[in-house]
Amino acid sequence: MPAQSTPIVLREDSAYHSFCGLTCVGWLYQKIKDSFFLVLGTHTCAHLLQNVLGVMVFARPRFGVALMEEADLSRPQPDLSHLIAEIKTDHHPSVIFLLSSCTPEVMKVEFEGLASRLSTPELPVLFVPASGLDYTFSQAEDSVLQALLPFCPQAPAEDKRIVFLGSVNDMIADEFTAEAEQLGLPVGGFLPASHFTALPAIGPGTVVAPLQPYLAKVANRLARERGATVLASLFPFGPDGTRAFWEDLAALFGKQVDLQDREAAAWERLAEHTTLLRGKKVFFTADNLMELPLARFLRNAGSEIVECSSPYINRRFHARELAALEGVPIVEQPNFDRQLRDIAKYKPDLVISTMGTTNPLLGQGVVAKWSTEFAFMPIHGWTGVATLAGMFTQSLKRHSHLAALDDPVWTAGFMPSVG
Amino acid sequence: MRLAYWMYEGTAHHGVGRIANSMRGVHAVFHAPQGDDYVNPIFTMLERTPSFPHMTTSVVSGRDLAQGTIHLPETLRQVEARFHPDLIVVCASCSTILLQEDLQRTAASAEIQTEVLVYNANPYRMQEISAAEGLFTLLTQRYARPQALTAQPSVNLIGPASLGFHVRSDLIALRRMLATLGVAVNVVAPWGAALSDLERLPAAWVNIAPYRELGLGAAQFLEQQFGTPTIYTAPIGVVPTQRWLEHLVTLLNEVGARNRGPVLTMPKLTAFSLDGMSAPSGVPWFARTADMDSFSRKRVFAFGDATHTVGVIKFLRDELGMEIAGAGTYLAHQADWVREQLAGYLHDELLVTDQFQEVARRIEQDIPDLVCGTQMERHSCRKLDVPCLVVAPPTHIENHLLGYYPFLGFEGADVIADRVYTTTKLGLEKHLIDLFGDAGLEYKNQVASSSDDAQMTDAEYGAETATQHLPDSGVTAGELVWSPEAQAMLKKVPFFVRRRAQHNTEKFALERGHTIITPDVLRAAKEQVGG
Repeated sequence: MPAQSTPIVLREDSAYHSFCGLTCVGWLYQKIKDSFFLVLGTHTCAHLLQNVLGVMVFARPRFGVALMEEADLSRPQPDLSHLIAEIKTDHHPSVIFLLSSCTPEVMKVEFEGLASRLSTPELPVLFVPASGLDYTFSQAEDSVLQALLPFCPQAPAEDKRIVFLGSVNDMIADEFTAEAEQLGLPVGGFLPASHFTALPAIGPGTVVAPLQPYLAKVANRLARERGATVLASLFPFGPDGTRAFWEDLAALFGKQVDLQDREAAAWERLAEHTTLLRGKKVFFTADNLMELPLARFLRNAGSEIVECSSPYINRRFHARELAALEGVPIVEQPNFDRQLRDIAKYKPDLVISTMGTTNPLLGQGVVAKWSTEFAFMPIHGWTGVATLAGMFTQSLKRHSHLAALDDPVWTAGFMPSVG
Repeated sequence: MRLAYWMYEGTAHHGVGRIANSMRGVHAVFHAPQGDDYVNPIFTMLERTPSFPHMTTSVVSGRDLAQGTIHLPETLRQVEARFHPDLIVVCASCSTILLQEDLQRTAASAEIQTEVLVYNANPYRMQEISAAEGLFTLLTQRYARPQALTAQPSVNLIGPASLGFHVRSDLIALRRMLATLGVAVNVVAPWGAALSDLERLPAAWVNIAPYRELGLGAAQFLEQQFGTPTIYTAPIGVVPTQRWLEHLVTLLNEVGARNRGPVLTMPKLTAFSLDGMSAPSGVPWFARTADMDSFSRKRVFAFGDATHTVGVIKFLRDELGMEIAGAGTYLAHQADWVREQLAGYLHDELLVTDQFQEVARRIEQDIPDLVCGTQMERHSCRKLDVPCLVVAPPTHIENHLLGYYPFLGFEGADVIADRVYTTTKLGLEKHLIDLFGDAGLEYKNQVASSSDDAQMTDAEYGAETATQHLPDSGVTAGELVWSPEAQAMLKKVPFFVRRRAQHNTEKFALERGHTIITPDVLRAAKEQVGG
């Protein structure tokens, strides 16, 4: 890989709004269909999960909280065996992920030992560090995949195949498999697979292709512990990212692939969107850890990125994305207070912001969109480009259609503490 | 330690946030890991707050713990600079409270001008409601000042708060009734109140504290400290509203008599209607109309907080003439009050639990004609094909609609009656279905998938689940086996009541020691328990 000049990444004080790592349960329990996610936590964790994940809409969520109450605080090592038995009877999982949360972390519960004592060969219990003290939002998927790593069979050195890294829905997974086959690239599987019992083999011949930008640590471990090669490219978002991803991936198999026309055709199909995006000022406040590739796509679509902030930036894993954002102000763990002042100063056309801050920004007349949504939409690869572009332009179009809300009377009475 | 999937009440810090987001110039600061900030979107999403809620998380990270760093002073300075509050309420989280830090001293080290209150909301000893109630009582005690009464008759409305159940509509209903009486509102709190408003609380002639969950402590304090008479009942239903109005007029005139104030008279009841010339509520006549006869046989189970459970049970029995199948609450600390209030209304023990599975089991055993509950009961009832309407918090985005849907006052009675009527299976229509089968509803039989699920209406869902719930012939239900003939016979029972018929038959069979349910057993059960 050629040396890249790395842009300066500022780091602030983490006073931004987002969710803790436990939220990854929301998509992972659905992705890994024979799993159960058990959070060792408090009422707070349960209240978070039900509010953020809208638990009620699902009949039998395969996640729950081992609820620590006052009496449990005096026991340094909680006994979870009866809960494991209950989960086993009710849900018949093949694997239980035991997630840490803030309270047991503060109590210094020894999770590795706890998980290994509960684990049986038939039903492994795997420790997943996910607490809000250290993990933001999608970041905890990295922990889940690291926990799965020992269960991926060892692939022999001559088995040179791709393992796609990161949870995507089955439709996207099929698309990536088909695309690889078309390019003549052999596919070994996906981490995570849809079932714990179907994890891909990984070895020195494996080429790990990261689909999600929040998996730096597991990628690093796959290289270190299994000798796998980790693709260093752009993430497959947008025509630009998808082209680079496949060309670089093919190159690792000694194939030179030119997807220039394909990229051009994809941009062509996005013309309706790029017309709207061109010249628009966009601000990312930090939330889902997908900010770097999303901002890079928008920049290539002609937008001006006023600021791209993210909860966590890894200079190696994100090297190509950072290089593509040369010149853009990039902030890790930003201060939201400062961001608000900058939003007022630079007046972006669109702010990609968290669930908690979007409505208040809209109330100030700023066009804002939930960053959370990007984590749940099929925006990967060639088939995802229109969805991806549409998510940005939808807000712009919508707000240009609606009459300006220039009289405060229209928000009067909505908020008791204001007005 | 138990396995929890869902909770009725939020956390203590959520309760603190509800008070802060209700009040002007009060800001909550959570000394907590970043994840505890999840309470913020509950306000911005459910109430669609057009501005930032008055709460800030002073982030504590793993690295901070390792290095002994504490950001609280810096956060307090930032909050002061950005929001200019009159008061900052600091509280710890479930994790940081274990660190046993001296937050008082840490907060003092910020050296800001704004008053800081460190609120000791122990999340292991209190949840949302106690924390909110405790904080609001404390603020009232701190800020209420002795003063003269207002010249004209006035009341305080104590208890409405951010994320309260239908709270905006209830406030409108209360204000409308007071306007009709010619009574001024002195202060509404905590909803929209500033600290200076709390100071003015003792100027009111009478306090109105309709919610058992919030405002009770503050009203009791004002009553004890300043002698302000208080109405603690919630005007839910027509007769309770009339009594409430009469009580209010009496109290105001008693205060007026002592202070040479004006004498209030009760206006004509039509004055309380929306157009000023009709019945203030349609319920009394509605309840006497012919198709409501069938409601006397309809059994209701209610579950929720204290105020709404009590109010709704009384309304359904006393004013709609329904039969009460049972009631429950998730507020253990209010259970005694609920029992006392519902003495004579319940035939069995009040269900007191904060585990929704227990409530669902109770509903499943009983299969009432209507359940009045929280959003969780609504969800449980969908699976059981039991009609359910939501009458109590915790609120859900669907309880924050734009229209005027009060639960209090005459208009509240109309809203509840309308919802009961449209939710339950109807009279004549139901007789026909009972007699002749399924009205074609059960053949829809859609394919269930989680994505379709969200779009399905309750009726469709009901039709579908009723079909799914048929016991397979030869498959054991507990220790029981349904013979194919009995199974076919059960299928002829209208789907609205099929679940109950199945349950009753199985119960009957088990009691009689049958192991196979044959058509004879089914017939015998039908005769015995009436289907």
